[in-house]
Amino acid sequence: MQMTASPLSRRTFLRGSALAAGAVAAGGALSACGSSGSGSGSGSGLAYWDWYVTQAPWVDGEISRFQKAHAGVTVKKTTQVSAKYADLVALAYRSGSTPDVFMVPQSPGLAEQVDRGWLLPLDQWATASWQSRFPAGTFIEGANVFGGKVYSAPLKGSAPQYQLYIHNGVFRTAGLTNPDGSVKTPTTWDEVSAAADAITRKSGGKTYGFGFGNGDNMGLMAWWLDLFVRGAGAPGGAPSGSGTGLDLRVGRWTYASDRSYADFLDLMVQWKQRGYFYPDSLSLSDEAARAFFERGRFGMTVGGVWNQPEWTQHRFTDYSLVTLPSPGATPKAFYYADPVGTGAFAAVSARTKHPQQAFQWVDALTSPAAGRRWVQDLNGVSVYPADNAPAGIDSKPFAAFVAMTAQELTGPVPVIRNPDLAGVAPQAPKSDIGDLVTGVYTGQIKDLQSALSSLAGEKEQLLSTAVAAVAKGGKKAAMTDYVFADWDPTRPYTAAKA
Amino acid sequence: MTLSAPGLRRRPDPAGTPEPAPVRRTGLRRRVRAAGWSYAYLAPMAVLVLAFVVYPIFASLGYTFYQWNGIGSPSNFVGLANFRQVLHDSIFWGAVEHTFVYAFVLVPVQLLIALMLALVLNNPRLRFRMFFRTVYFVPVVTSAAVVGVVMQLMLSNFGDAAGSLFAGTGLTGSHIDWLGDPHTALAVVIAIGIWHTLGYNLVYFMAGLQTIPAELYEAARIDGAGPVRCFFSITLPMLRQVGVVIVVLAFIGSFQVFDLVQVLTGGGPYFATEVVNTYIYHLAFGGGSGSGAVQPDVGLASAASFLYGLLLILFSAAQVLALRRLGRRRAGSAL
Repeated sequence: MQMTASPLSRRTFLRGSALAAGAVAAGGALSACGSSGSGSGSGSGLAYWDWYVTQAPWVDGEISRFQKAHAGVTVKKTTQVSAKYADLVALAYRSGSTPDVFMVPQSPGLAEQVDRGWLLPLDQWATASWQSRFPAGTFIEGANVFGGKVYSAPLKGSAPQYQLYIHNGVFRTAGLTNPDGSVKTPTTWDEVSAAADAITRKSGGKTYGFGFGNGDNMGLMAWWLDLFVRGAGAPGGAPSGSGTGLDLRVGRWTYASDRSYADFLDLMVQWKQRGYFYPDSLSLSDEAARAFFERGRFGMTVGGVWNQPEWTQHRFTDYSLVTLPSPGATPKAFYYADPVGTGAFAAVSARTKHPQQAFQWVDALTSPAAGRRWVQDLNGVSVYPADNAPAGIDSKPFAAFVAMTAQELTGPVPVIRNPDLAGVAPQAPKSDIGDLVTGVYTGQIKDLQSALSSLAGEKEQLLSTAVAAVAKGGKKAAMTDYVFADWDPTRPYTAAKA
Repeated sequence: MTLSAPGLRRRPDPAGTPEPAPVRRTGLRRRVRAAGWSYAYLAPMAVLVLAFVVYPIFASLGYTFYQWNGIGSPSNFVGLANFRQVLHDSIFWGAVEHTFVYAFVLVPVQLLIALMLALVLNNPRLRFRMFFRTVYFVPVVTSAAVVGVVMQLMLSNFGDAAGSLFAGTGLTGSHIDWLGDPHTALAVVIAIGIWHTLGYNLVYFMAGLQTIPAELYEAARIDGAGPVRCFFSITLPMLRQVGVVIVVLAFIGSFQVFDLVQVLTGGGPYFATEVVNTYIYHLAFGGGSGSGAVQPDVGLASAASFLYGLLLILFSAAQVLALRRLGRRRAGSAL
């Protein structure tokens, strides 16, 4: 082969390639420097990471206000994919390109983040007077405080996580109305079943009683169990995740011993067999399910307050919501406020070059005024009770949600009683409660009692291993720390203690 | 430089023929230098393979002995516990079963369809054959993730038309959630997989068909052979060599299935379509069939990868032995 025939000689080509590669490498290095500069805050620029998409207007508004109030300080927001947020934060620490301020990832646990030296102690600015603006119990060891130092602050308040959403138009069409014309909202399991039956039957199969979108594998089917089983008297509910869902009266998972779980799952299977569920629910995406509910393809769905901004944006407000549907007239267990779980919203990176400005941004994000705007923008409830006043909330469904905070009781929190438990980080089982509910729904799990018992045992074993690991490290931790034998799930725990 | 080592003498040739001139053997360095440009051209790919294929294999072997969530450095040494856990995990064995079902259904069906289409499209008298070849090859150049997203939208998110497709025909009793029903989800994934990579095998078969001399068919026809006889006596035997390569490549590709499953079903419902690669992915990066809360465990994922690698090596060895034995038997019967 004659290379000389080509006007581009091999040597010239290689020289050119080397130059091009060098230029690309230099460009990459320069862009990396630029990214790092803005990432770690060149001048007075603060890099801020979150995973808020539907809440982005609120964040953007707060950034605008903050920048006006702090001349010369700019906030560069990066919204990451929520499913990969924890990985991205971990990678940022590994690569040395951490944001100055960031929403606290759910994994690893806050205690581990502190142990790894990721977070900056805020005590210099988070004085006692600053802390006093938050509700009592916000800054306790294990929740925002580790080793006596403050690392984070809360934004959101506690409210029932899941609600049963009711499409008023579908209910009216099915004749599910009160004598005064208002929609007859179901509050018991029987009423929910009857409503689903009426919707499916009267529509001739065109509309279904229930629907959901589990196509994104978010463990969404556990939401149904969690919502329905609490009212039946299972205070642990069915949250997915490591170390969650314990019945703190006995310090164990009671999936198999509390008949509420099997009862609801049996009922759910009956609903499916009777054709009450929208048939593509298992493969439908959550977004599509939200749209289908809006269009009245099904009359009821389970979800959280995060559904509301999109519906409001589409001017769809003709829906109602209830929480804790129960077998009887009154719920036997509730949702419980968890200052540890909801307490930490934002934190400052230990590597920030602008610690004071970074704290000021955390301060602004978690201020009472920002909390009020958080509520008014229909994002959720604020950590400040005064922010959750109904006045000023235009949306009727959202006002109904805010009113549900009354159904959120104060429950026992093991880490408050024993701060050493903050380091307990149990593994999650490969197949968790959301998988189990899916398996029951599809009919793949035949022996329900055995599956419930097996999962409860596995979760207990994982927690026990994690507790033992902490105890081995010289701290006082035992499985008995998770037992609150004097707890009555129908009453606030602190009141009971008093 | 001579071949004789110091102190050794070469025996004199009894025939008295003159000794050949000493062969000039070049050293390794000189030979490398002589082929310098070849090595320079190969170097970038070699570096990439070493960095992203060879190194991770050996690095992941070390991780198999740790429980590690991928953050920081692994420190929790667990010995062989990860292997034990994977070997006792019914979900892993379910994933292995699904992977093998995927491969052993997809490969024969796909190869049969590809061969039939190749025979049709190889007909020089077929009009618009370039157009048809393009049509069948287009899915190959489309990303599996894109194919998965589009199919997922069509089957699930565009309403219930797809699910009700056969409801009125009597083929099915009622609406089917194709991707949400454990009885149909894997079949749908396989069907889409067959369609997606059919073009590769079609092209391979067409290339193989075009190597068969036309004279063979002409001679056979003169001898009175019909199309069926020609197919079984000429086409199939002449395609045997290329066919073996196609089968091996098709199995290798099938065992690597990941993106299609991940996008279409995520391994669900309740692990009904979990294949080994999605299983490993879910262990390494969290998430799973029905719960997004599973924590990443790189050590466990590495152990699963290692075990799956061993399984594939065993399968490949068995495949090679079977093909070799088949070849010998055919050679014996031909004699």
